[in-house]
Amino acid sequence: MSDLVLQGVTKRFGATTAVQGVDLDIAAGEMVVFVGPSGCGKSTLLRMIAGLDPVTEGRILIGGRDVTAAEPVDRGLAMVFQSYALYPHMTVAQNMAFPLEMQGLGRAEISARVRETARTLQLEPLLDRKPRALSGGQRQRVAIGRAIVRQPVGFLFDEPLSNLDAELRVQMRQEVARLHRTLGATMVYVTHDQVEAMTLADRIVVLRAGRVEQVGAPLELYENPANAFVAGFIGSPRMNLIPATVRDGAVTLPGLVLPRPGLPAGGTPVQVGLRPEHMVASGPAIAATCEAVERLGAVSYLYARLADGTQVTAQVDAALAVTSPGAAVTLTPDPARALVFAADGARLV
Amino acid sequence: MTGRLLLWGGIGFFLVIIGLPFWWVVTGSIKDPAEIIARDPTMFPQSFTLQHYAKLLAASAYPTYLVNSLIVAVSTAVLTVLLAVPAAYAFFRMELPFREGMYRAILLAYAFPGIIVLIPIYGFFAQLGLIDSLVALVIVNTTFALPFSIWMMRSFLGTIPQDIEEAARMDGAPTPVILRRILVPLLLPGIAAVAVFAFISSWTEYIFASILILSDAQRTIPVGFAGIIGQYQIDWGLLLAGATLAILPVVIIFALIGRTFVAGMTDGAVK
Repeated sequence: MSDLVLQGVTKRFGATTAVQGVDLDIAAGEMVVFVGPSGCGKSTLLRMIAGLDPVTEGRILIGGRDVTAAEPVDRGLAMVFQSYALYPHMTVAQNMAFPLEMQGLGRAEISARVRETARTLQLEPLLDRKPRALSGGQRQRVAIGRAIVRQPVGFLFDEPLSNLDAELRVQMRQEVARLHRTLGATMVYVTHDQVEAMTLADRIVVLRAGRVEQVGAPLELYENPANAFVAGFIGSPRMNLIPATVRDGAVTLPGLVLPRPGLPAGGTPVQVGLRPEHMVASGPAIAATCEAVERLGAVSYLYARLADGTQVTAQVDAALAVTSPGAAVTLTPDPARALVFAADGARLV
Repeated sequence: MTGRLLLWGGIGFFLVIIGLPFWWVVTGSIKDPAEIIARDPTMFPQSFTLQHYAKLLAASAYPTYLVNSLIVAVSTAVLTVLLAVPAAYAFFRMELPFREGMYRAILLAYAFPGIIVLIPIYGFFAQLGLIDSLVALVIVNTTFALPFSIWMMRSFLGTIPQDIEEAARMDGAPTPVILRRILVPLLLPGIAAVAVFAFISSWTEYIFASILILSDAQRTIPVGFAGIIGQYQIDWGLLLAGATLAILPVVIIFALIGRTFVAGMTDGAVK
């Protein structure tokens, strides 16, 4: 297990900057998840750590050793690809043996380690099959097996579960989490799925347009987002961002006045961030028109439009869940949980 | 229903167009000389004889030509594959300066008819002392087969997901090992296609074989065979028997290699 340090890592493709000056310390044994919308540079960053793409500027250190210019194999990292990238002409056993052969290990040791890994991942009955005879979940497990068998200093996962169906994804997610617990290995995991990020990560790195927006523990990002982008990206359904104005040292929106210290001058437009589950406390209410209700069983979500056209989501109880589209509803936000962002998205209060 | 009928009608039509000359050549080679030149041609042989084959193999240098042609064609196919695979890899997957320019230049070379360079090539081989040598034919045939082979190989390479190669790099495989252990097995259908193409273009090559080869002992089938026909008068039976034997290796090669043209080699690799 090694720690992984990124110092000002930048990647430019011609005139476009894909990753801009990323600084990050990943502790040995930590599971860090890179999350962000597509094109945010998370996969590029992972590929630079892997050594598959050269770094334009900055340094990458693994276990204190500068590996910025090192070949992928000399970094001691294993990678699991979104597409699995199994060798189609080799059996499962041969796929897993390949990295060990490249290390020049003896036949007996290779066989022992492949069996051992296959046992951990319940792949033993599949060892003689070719990838095309496996299901998606089994292929992904083989890809993980091929990574584990090398006993690398760290693992890189590039959206490994996005080709699986929803049920299998949950199952494999738990398997990855279990793997992280048992191996205690340093892992960097890239996903665009914030649920995966929330459930797997020790720390989440939120990226947008090649820059780090925020780094922190999942709940820290959820409770205390650094800006409106992180607030909107982490959490499902998304946090409501309602346009408002500052008046007399308080944020004012129709039906709600939030006195807060540290607000900008009066008249400044701001946004109020409210999670759907913080929309139904007692207190002053906002008038809205119901647009749709999603009843998920345990919870229900009410989608409504405010007078100014802003769409909001509220997690509602059974009584409100019977509201039909077009009906007038009143939503009562919890003022204590409201966050205030500037018009450009920066966090104010 | 009408669509199906049309489809099969079309297939049948082209089958006859393509198949009829072959049928004519093969059946003609076992007919009596009299039947071959009969005023009313027979679609199905009324007689059977192997005399044309016996004459071809015993009384002419045809067996020598056959062996020479096989040596040249097989060597050309092997050499072309050995050069086309790494060249296509370099042109398609490696970061090289002027890569696209070099690739275009090679394809451009393919656009010129070989006869343009006939005289310089003759001079070149004369200086190397390779006139009247099968080696010269292998070199020339490989040279002319390569541009198209590289182009063909490049498109086969394009069907192999880059992830597989990157996985191999992460696993610690150097480029030659990636080529040998990962890409070549996945490229087998492409390699077979290139080999067949190189074999056939060498098998049928006439111009260079007629200029670069002087002695009868080094002749290949197209040139040697032309000699047999013109030597006395047109012996149709001999001609048809020779043509049949000339087709045979190509048919055998297709029968053997056809198996490797299996679709779905990369099934299960990704997704």
